[in-house]
Amino acid sequence: MTIEAPGTTAYLDSLVNVATGELDRRIFSDEEIFELEMQHIFGRAWLFLCHETQIPKKGDFFEAPMGKDNVLVVRQRDRSIKALLNTCTHRGNAVCRAEEGNVRNFMCTYHGWTFGLDGELVGVPGMSDFYRDELDRTKHPLRKVAQLDNYKGFIFATMDPQAPPLLEFLGRTGRIAIDLLAERGDIEARPGVQKFTLNCNWKFTADNAFDYYHPQITHISAQAVGMIPSADVNDTGGAKTDEGKALGVQRLPTDLDTLVALGEYGHAISGPSLDSMLRTLPPEMHELVTWRQNPGPLAALGPVGSRFAGHPHLFPTAWFTMDAQISLRVPRSAGVTEVWWFSFKDRNESPEEQKAQLGRQIHSFGPAGFLEQEDGENWSQSTAQTRGGASRDIPQLLKMGLGRGKIIHEDGVARIEAPVNEHAQLWTYLSWLAWVKGTSWDELRSATTPGDYI
Amino acid sequence: MATAHLETTIAPEKIAAMYLQYEVEQFYTHEAALLDHQRFEEWVDLFTDDTAYFMPIRRTVPRRNLSREFTRPGEMAFFDDDKATLVGRVQKLGTGTAWAEDPPSRTRHLVTNVRIIEDLGTELTVETCFHLYRTRLKSEIDEWIGRREDVLRRTEEGFRIARRDIYLDQTVLLSQNLSNFF
Repeated sequence: MTIEAPGTTAYLDSLVNVATGELDRRIFSDEEIFELEMQHIFGRAWLFLCHETQIPKKGDFFEAPMGKDNVLVVRQRDRSIKALLNTCTHRGNAVCRAEEGNVRNFMCTYHGWTFGLDGELVGVPGMSDFYRDELDRTKHPLRKVAQLDNYKGFIFATMDPQAPPLLEFLGRTGRIAIDLLAERGDIEARPGVQKFTLNCNWKFTADNAFDYYHPQITHISAQAVGMIPSADVNDTGGAKTDEGKALGVQRLPTDLDTLVALGEYGHAISGPSLDSMLRTLPPEMHELVTWRQNPGPLAALGPVGSRFAGHPHLFPTAWFTMDAQISLRVPRSAGVTEVWWFSFKDRNESPEEQKAQLGRQIHSFGPAGFLEQEDGENWSQSTAQTRGGASRDIPQLLKMGLGRGKIIHEDGVARIEAPVNEHAQLWTYLSWLAWVKGTSWDELRSATTPGDYI
Repeated sequence: MATAHLETTIAPEKIAAMYLQYEVEQFYTHEAALLDHQRFEEWVDLFTDDTAYFMPIRRTVPRRNLSREFTRPGEMAFFDDDKATLVGRVQKLGTGTAWAEDPPSRTRHLVTNVRIIEDLGTELTVETCFHLYRTRLKSEIDEWIGRREDVLRRTEEGFRIARRDIYLDQTVLLSQNLSNFF
């Protein structure tokens, strides 16, 4: 066996085998690969920073991660929004050490260099005594992100001046992902972003968004206490407890009718179709999905987009849930990921509906959520087993539905209709490989344009 | 006699206050023991039917923005539970399939700095500091330190928790879940 040098294209190509549905576990713990991800993915992609309602007033700021860079998203005096790197152009110190708040300017507490909300350098202590007035202040503003744009209030930025415009990056699938939240009504971010730390690789958190195979086991206790509906089907497939008893698995009723969208640059949506979801939800919860067929949302989503009820995921790390939340998975190292939960409400909904939704948002996900407590366990344990010399040689499997993913192209959306499958996960890793190789934008787009099968 | 001395030199209301302090501290020691002995069904019985169990999100904010350090009820939180939700959490642990707690965590609830802030007769407001130490699996260690503010209601069965606000000292949580009770 030839081991290629890490970082070479041949080495990277050997890590993802779409034909066999097998991944090399090294991609989940190799720090060199993590650095390539920082450079080629997080240094180039459009990344979600925050929602405009999180910084409503002049001087409001929210600190967001872009790879290992920290960026201050700031509401300007003219109400526009800028995103500035949180690093003093003198000696590098952070010019703001809070996560969010309101300021009149940003002052570095090292030497007092002071920057306006727009990043311009407006104050240098001792300008005449120490610099003899020879320092050109205009040459040292806080650095801006290369491009900033917003889609329906959702603010994105990229560090790559060559990146295609946001709308092109999102493509139809990415826009549907956001529309499934934005078109709910008059959207506002709820105060408070849950942030917690997992000892796992970020890609486990990303591909899990599409995994409808795990809930019936991982979330069996949440199902037992009524947090998720289940079908009256008992199919353990031979799963037994450590005492040898058949596990009483109530299969999730979503397994017959799954709808997948594969998008350029790696975006994807996967999960139950709207019809399938309606069959599983109790009537009082139908409003969770039926709004998608109201005239406004229907016009934005289109005939195909309006049929999705599953989980949209914007490559690389933003997962949009069914209940108006965005989970941002923030890579800190190959083995550490922070999970951030942004939660939204529709200003036009009744106080009772808003309260009920808040309860669901708090109780489903997040570190104390009835569901995500168990998810974190899987991801950290899976990551841990990619480090052992023998364990990491076992391939990571994505074989469900392999080769059966016939892609239908309609209304600008590439979709697959199939039982529960791993097509979206495979698409994520196929795209990941194209990104991490550092190919040009044209090559990247070409490599991540869905064909006829996966 | 020491006792006689005590009674003659300390005002009765002070002795009553000391006794109340003792009762409240005993209550918290008992509560911590229930949690650390995994007696969750008895623990959840310590909450009134109309209880509210709330852990807001704490944010690192500039000193002059401290008024927005914690989220408020009606905003996002880590816990915002009524009695039914708390009971649901306990039932979930009891299923034997709540994998985040199976194998179970080992916990130590250290409750200290017990201060009775207000006594309205039927209800008391009590502030405590806590140090929740947890180890789980082979080598995971989590520590949460913070402040709780409780409303304790006097009932025939003793104190019951009618409201609990939990203020963690961490902002970005350094643990992978909050599968324990505070």
